[in-house]
Amino acid sequence: MGKQTTEMLKGTLEGVVLAILAGRPAYGYEITAWLRDQGFSDIAEGTVYALLVRVEKRGLVDVTKVPSEKGPPRKVYSLNDQGREYLEEFWTAWRFLSERLEQLREGGR
Amino acid sequence: MIMIVSKLIGDKRRYRQYKARIRRLPEDYRTAVEAIERYLMHFVPADNESAISEFEDLAELFERAASDGTPIRELVGDEPTEFVEEFARNYTKGGYAPDKERQRLLRGIERAIEAERTGR
Repeated sequence: MGKQTTEMLKGTLEGVVLAILAGRPAYGYEITAWLRDQGFSDIAEGTVYALLVRVEKRGLVDVTKVPSEKGPPRKVYSLNDQGREYLEEFWTAWRFLSERLEQLREGGR
Repeated sequence: MIMIVSKLIGDKRRYRQYKARIRRLPEDYRTAVEAIERYLMHFVPADNESAISEFEDLAELFERAASDGTPIRELVGDEPTEFVEEFARNYTKGGYAPDKERQRLLRGIERAIEAERTGR
């Protein structure tokens, strides 16, 4: 994963994680594994964890503790209504940004 | 050191529990947590609750990783300072600076803008 990709992903990781959770509830390890599968190989699991703590504090996700055969209970995150609303805003911002960048690439109108 | 830290974070009992959790981690994970903990001391927490929950969340992250067998490199990434700063952001308002200094900065800028607007 190139330096530029890493930098760009930083600004969008929150939206990416919420979009994953819009599909189905997941715990941190699963989210990181999915990101790595998709080629985002530089993502630190701790960074995803920090992000999940943040979206939980902001009330965008609901958390259920599921007992685990080994170690502490797993926290399973699911997107709630406020999170879905926030994700819509993220997609709007993303559309704006990607359209402007595409225009620039096509010759700076 | 523990005395100073306990005073800072306000909740000795929860801090001792955190320390006990860290001691139960496999040695390599414990070494990593202690390095992170040392670095976190340079960030000023938003309040007492933030200060203690920061440590508790750190312990939870490493307990989970130890159970899953996540390698330390995958946990902290290629740039551990970036991960720790991202992590710390959840518990502070102004990063390295105490909140009152952040407020002082904002007031100073406000004064300057006000003076600019009114032509002194």
